[in-house]
Amino acid sequence: MDLAALKTQLKNFVQSMFEEGVLDNQFSQIQALQDSTNPNFVEEVITLFCNDAERIINEINRNLGYQNVDFSNLDSYVHQLKGSSSSIGANRLKLACANLRQASDERNKEG
Amino acid sequence: MAHTLPSSDQSSDQDKWDSGGLECKGQLLIKIVMRNRLTALVVDGDTTCWVLEQELLHSYGVQTLGVDNSRDAVDLIASDAEFNLIIIEKILPVLNGLAVTRQICEIGVRCKMLEVTACSRESERQAFLAIGVDVFIERPLDPEHLVPILRELDGQ
Repeated sequence: MDLAALKTQLKNFVQSMFEEGVLDNQFSQIQALQDSTNPNFVEEVITLFCNDAERIINEINRNLGYQNVDFSNLDSYVHQLKGSSSSIGANRLKLACANLRQASDERNKEG
Repeated sequence: MAHTLPSSDQSSDQDKWDSGGLECKGQLLIKIVMRNRLTALVVDGDTTCWVLEQELLHSYGVQTLGVDNSRDAVDLIASDAEFNLIIIEKILPVLNGLAVTRQICEIGVRCKMLEVTACSRESERQAFLAIGVDVFIERPLDPEHLVPILRELDGQ
């Protein structure tokens, strides 16, 4: 596949994520911050985010696997994930965190 | 997931991410002209947020320093480093955001303090405002909230 086709594919992929509500306006802000002085900004931020998010999600899973879930510990992980996902424009993930936090507040392990 | 393109020429860097939102790019980063060179300290344990906040401030010509834990933040302030603006996240390694903010205010810092955090409860918001935080913002930190503050600090 040639470069132009790849670029178009990427563009369409990102567009569909906006349309599905996976990404929100905050992601556009990040795109707008990329310029010639910082040409790989978006890529760097996404990589950072994915690495951090993976680590946090693993911690959350681990915590939920315990017999007695430590909800306050869980809460700070979810808080962090919600913070970074809303900063990067990962809308659906942010909403999922809000739901998780709600369930956690209610000490609802099943939720 | 996105592919890393093997070669990219400078002129097409923006094209790489163009998703039709580019025509509103001008509106996204509210353009302002700063008269003074402001300085800011960003205190945030989460790297992604920290990097984004610094870049946003840089794009407005604000010289920023970032630390990722409370101890470094307090040490920096205690060593008489001066900032026009301090941005603090609520949950931090070492001490939590509330305790750090209280310490900073006790040291006698009089600059603008911004609390930025993900989920917040009304009681937390009140607690921060009570100890001297000027503005409490829910994430994400965006130009809409930041620009009026920068304008005010710049004396516009």
